[in-house]
Amino acid sequence: MSNWQILWQARDQFWSGFLSTMTIFGCAISAAFVIGCVLLYLLEGSRPRLAVPLRVFIDGMRMLPFLILAYLLYYGLPSFGIRLDAWWSGVGALAVYHGCYIAEIFRGSRLTFPPGQIEAAQAHGFTRSKMFLRLILPQIVMQTRPLLGNQLIYALKDTAFLVIITVQELTAAANSLSGTYFIPTEAFIVVIGFYWAVSIVMEVIVKQCGRFGSRRGFDNV
Amino acid sequence: MSDLHATAGRQATPEPPAAGNSHVTTAAVSIRNLSKSFDDVEVLRDVNLEVKQGDVVTILGSSGSGKSTLLRCINWLEQPERGTIHIAGERIGMNADGRPMSVKALARVRARTGMVFQSFNLWPHLNVLHNVTEAPIHVLGQPRQEAEARARELLDKVGMSHKQDAYPNTLSGGQKQRVAIARALAMQPEVMLFDEPTSALDPELVGEVLGVIKALSAEGYTMVIVTHEMAFSRAVSDQVVFLEKGLIIEQADPETFFTRPRTERVQRFLERHQ
Amino acid sequence: MNASAWHMLLEGAWTTLWISGVSIAMGVTAGLILALIRLARVPVIDQLLVLYISLARATPLVTLALFIFLSAPTFGLQLDRNVAGILALTLNTTAFNAEIWRSAFRNFSREQREAAMATGMTPWITFRRIMLPQMVITSLPGLINEMSFLIKGSPAIAVIGIVDLTRVTNRISAVTYEPLPPILVACVLYMAIIGGLVWAQRVAERRANRLAV
Repeated sequence: MSNWQILWQARDQFWSGFLSTMTIFGCAISAAFVIGCVLLYLLEGSRPRLAVPLRVFIDGMRMLPFLILAYLLYYGLPSFGIRLDAWWSGVGALAVYHGCYIAEIFRGSRLTFPPGQIEAAQAHGFTRSKMFLRLILPQIVMQTRPLLGNQLIYALKDTAFLVIITVQELTAAANSLSGTYFIPTEAFIVVIGFYWAVSIVMEVIVKQCGRFGSRRGFDNV
Repeated sequence: MSDLHATAGRQATPEPPAAGNSHVTTAAVSIRNLSKSFDDVEVLRDVNLEVKQGDVVTILGSSGSGKSTLLRCINWLEQPERGTIHIAGERIGMNADGRPMSVKALARVRARTGMVFQSFNLWPHLNVLHNVTEAPIHVLGQPRQEAEARARELLDKVGMSHKQDAYPNTLSGGQKQRVAIARALAMQPEVMLFDEPTSALDPELVGEVLGVIKALSAEGYTMVIVTHEMAFSRAVSDQVVFLEKGLIIEQADPETFFTRPRTERVQRFLERHQ
Repeated sequence: MNASAWHMLLEGAWTTLWISGVSIAMGVTAGLILALIRLARVPVIDQLLVLYISLARATPLVTLALFIFLSAPTFGLQLDRNVAGILALTLNTTAFNAEIWRSAFRNFSREQREAAMATGMTPWITFRRIMLPQMVITSLPGLINEMSFLIKGSPAIAVIGIVDLTRVTNRISAVTYEPLPPILVACVLYMAIIGGLVWAQRVAERRANRLAV
């Protein structure tokens, strides 16, 4: 039996690893997006005393490797009596970590947001939160979509770190298969193919959003 | 800039053309039957031009007439389709057998011309002195000390010696252009090519650059100048060439050109620009 | 934490630093070479490089490190852990650096190159004396940013058993049963390293802006 045939027989393991990675990725990136939006809103200035600690927190996260944050949640939190399992630590760490990166991407775009639009909204009697949700956030998200697309790919790649804290995902599947049957080359080629395919699909989606965005005139404001 | 006139005095001494070979002349620049198109548009049509040693030739014409292209053909920054160009008797761009020159041979001929660009094109990572010494050291192989001594002389000549340690981004347009002139002079070229040297300058800075070029002409440098400055052209030229749609339609000494133009086209051009 | 724990942490930090440093040096150089090769647009090689860059950017470092370390023996190569780790980091960072260098090339001013040729410089002298020094200055912010990413990705080499600054915290807590302090110290050390790079990047950006005439 050739190595590839062995892999084909073990396809269920790959598939469940892939689904696990995609579940982790999907949950984490959705939460990260929400965290990014909330951080941006908090930086808007409704609570001035929060601004400095938040900036320190965001910059601090951006100076850490992702894995050390996962360690902090998985190995460190029990010291405070909070015990998360590997999966929740992993998803939580991904969400917080990439949430901070997304917040920083948003913040950069917010700095160049045309003040005239905000004045116009204020003149029309928008509340602060309505203005943020209806006016600022949609434009900033559309404007930063290439950077967000990059961040998605980074987040996808960071899911592989979770094999180190024993989460069963795609790279873990390849690792265990290559151990069981001693066919590491083939197993990892398949897995790398999975990551590659997902990255390409994400790039295509971001580009399609770009077309939609320029049709709606988001790029010319 | 005062010593410019003090060192002036080199006279143009044209030698008799060598007998027999029509391509070997003592002209600083000799252009024969030059044609060039971009895509389907002919920008130069069968242009012939001789620039004698020590002569100053200004090329006039409206924009799009092909005058910059003609200048850029002389040092082969643009490659013409037909025709030949000789720099002090040496053919540029093509070997005698009609094949393109090797990059090394081309670079060696180019080193015999100096070019001053409309947009200065100083190298921003080098200070003023090193902008001037870079090519003499790395192309001509001059020792650094010698190159620097000569560069200081040239910077003095263009009135920029006080800025020799400054970087280009701290200079005004006029100062940049004067350094660019010193940079071109440092190669001791047979001919200096000026491509609209004052077009990118604020009006109040034009004078300082034209002043330097005038002083060079008094020293006997051979120069080909594309310009829009009529009074300057009249004052400095030995020959004025008028280009229209890639053709030389008038060529004369400045007195004749500016007072008794032959063609109606040039008359209208002069009326608009005076 | 006792003295031996501190000692281990510093050793872990040193491992992270030297393995990253070697990978950065090789990745920056290899990236430049790849960018030059891509500029030449050699038919088949160009497509292969595009494929490599696309794959390398999509492959997680952990997966790449495991792939190299585990599959090398099946080709009859016994790779040292450190070599496998350096190889993984280098293969990854080279792809990003190649793109940084390539964009510096493509954005290089045509006029400045013309000015160099007009003085009689050959293409090689023009590249060496005029283009490369400026490309180094303009690419440096991007290259340093990529170095930060490499350090942030470097814990991936723990997966093949290298005891780096992240992994060493496991070793320490296995003895002390107190995982939190070493992890926090590791965090501080990482912040110091990456903070230094961020600072260097700002300095490099200021220098690069000064180049813009």
